[in-house]
Amino acid sequence: MTATSIIELEGVWKRYQSGTETLEALKDVNFAAEPGEFVAIMGPSGSGKSTMLNVLGLLDVPSEGVVRLDGSDVTDLSDEEMTTQRKDAIGFIFQDFFLIPTLSAIENVEVPTLFGRDPTARDRGVELLERVGLGERIEHRPDQLSGGQKQRVAIARALINEPRILLADEPTGNLDRKTGRDVLELFTELKVEEDVAVIAVTHDDQLRQYADRVVNLVDGVLTEEGRPDELTEEFGT
Amino acid sequence: MSALERLYRRIPALLMARRNLSRNRLRSGLAALGIIIGVLAIASLGMFGTTLRTGATEQLGDIGNEIQITPNAEEGFERLTDRDVADIRRVTDEGTVVPIRQRTATLTRGEDRTIATVYGIENPGALYEASDGQAPERLRQGALVGSSLAERLELQVGNRITLDNESFRVVGILEQQDGISLLNPNGAVIVPIESFDESGYSQVVVRSPSGTAANETAVAVREELNDREEKVTIFELGSITEGINQFFGILNAFLIGIGSISLVVAGVAILNVMLMSTIERRQEIGVLRAVGVQKLDVVKMILAEAGLLGFVGGFFGAILAVLAGLVLNQVVLSDPLLTFAPVNLMYIGLAVVFGIVTSVLSGLYPAWKAASERPVESLRK
Repeated sequence: MTATSIIELEGVWKRYQSGTETLEALKDVNFAAEPGEFVAIMGPSGSGKSTMLNVLGLLDVPSEGVVRLDGSDVTDLSDEEMTTQRKDAIGFIFQDFFLIPTLSAIENVEVPTLFGRDPTARDRGVELLERVGLGERIEHRPDQLSGGQKQRVAIARALINEPRILLADEPTGNLDRKTGRDVLELFTELKVEEDVAVIAVTHDDQLRQYADRVVNLVDGVLTEEGRPDELTEEFGT
Repeated sequence: MSALERLYRRIPALLMARRNLSRNRLRSGLAALGIIIGVLAIASLGMFGTTLRTGATEQLGDIGNEIQITPNAEEGFERLTDRDVADIRRVTDEGTVVPIRQRTATLTRGEDRTIATVYGIENPGALYEASDGQAPERLRQGALVGSSLAERLELQVGNRITLDNESFRVVGILEQQDGISLLNPNGAVIVPIESFDESGYSQVVVRSPSGTAANETAVAVREELNDREEKVTIFELGSITEGINQFFGILNAFLIGIGSISLVVAGVAILNVMLMSTIERRQEIGVLRAVGVQKLDVVKMILAEAGLLGFVGGFFGAILAVLAGLVLNQVVLSDPLLTFAPVNLMYIGLAVVFGIVTSVLSGLYPAWKAASERPVESLRK
């Protein structure tokens, strides 16, 4: 939409074939996020939120429409190119953390760089773990960490390659309120200090307070909601 | 940083592989056990073949170096003449020609009487060694007695024996002949060739320094004596030893073939284990792919896992195979060090390589399958 958008969806449709029926998960979605912006994508289950996040994260390709990353069309890249783009530009955070249980915290953080011969990765990883408050638990395995700590390791992992975009799928979904708030505060910090675009898919109303902008996705149709603080009344908490 | 850590840094797939294998030690252990058994089977069956061959060769002794020339009775030739012997001597490049006369006689020693084979040999020292007394190069008088006959009649050097009506002094007891020989002297008496009241010879044995020389002599003798008519029959053991060697070659291939079956089974077990573990880890692999790990790196990681199983299995299999070889060679040949014969080391090396290759091949399909799954699919709850 604007020239400053880091990621942009233009007229994106996603259709699935289910038997003889065609399901439309995304219907003509137009969306853009700017660096340093925290956008919340809200909507009920099955509304297409995850599909949209997958398309934004170059994990899935749209049936129709264009995906632009930092101004260039990335819709039809090969699997290898998409993987490289994901590695360089996008950090992922999942509801279930998805840490690798056999690796220590620092090794988990290093995973995206593991196969790339990156000599400074270890230092960056340690720095990031310290930053998310886990400087003391670098060598701990995931089963020795609490939920909030695991999510912070996952955030450090998402940041290891200094991405421009952070995509979060229900980042607070498996955390209690207090821990969730810590994670969201970390997001706020990151978007300000690192100029990262944070895009989170969520049910969590708590997240609204931290988002700069909320968009609603219902049955594959995206609507802009505006400033969250103006609208909290309407949805209630 | 330790050497291992440096290795992991250089080959991150190995680090991931090692961690993944330690996740379910029992399962990984059992998969490696399959490879251990396969490698052990191939290596030890190969070594078993070598041991059999060595044992058999020892039994056969030097027979490959001897040829036996006998008159062709079917064509009416009953004896070999002095002229024939001279011809044989002439065409024999290397080796000793031993003309032999033969009969059976009643052997009497005091009260004991027995029937014995009597050989008339001019130069028994060319063929035999004596364990007591001596086997002379030229036997002019006295008799040499075969070991089992001497034992049976309790004969010693210096005793007198009577063959039919003629008396001989025992000048030597021959060494026990273990191997197969064209002319087994164990139960026989050897006397000077002149003591036979006949002319001509019943057979001629040529002993050569090597199998090849024996073969050349056989060819030369055949050309010389059987030029116009089939005067003599030449019995060559070289072709038999060759045949026996060939047989052991086939036996070895067969044994290793059987061993390979167990390795194939181990390969299937690894395929199964890898497939199960990649299916269990599909979300994790999806995460790896999502955060920017390339498809090929995932393939490498899973192949490294399979390769590591193969390597560990091969390593322990080789150790067990060496132990098995030591025991086998000690029991069969009383020489455990034969285990380290080059051909055995080759079998062990081959078995280990087969083990690793089988494992990696078995990992290919699971690796390809895991890496090809779209991360969107594998991350779906």
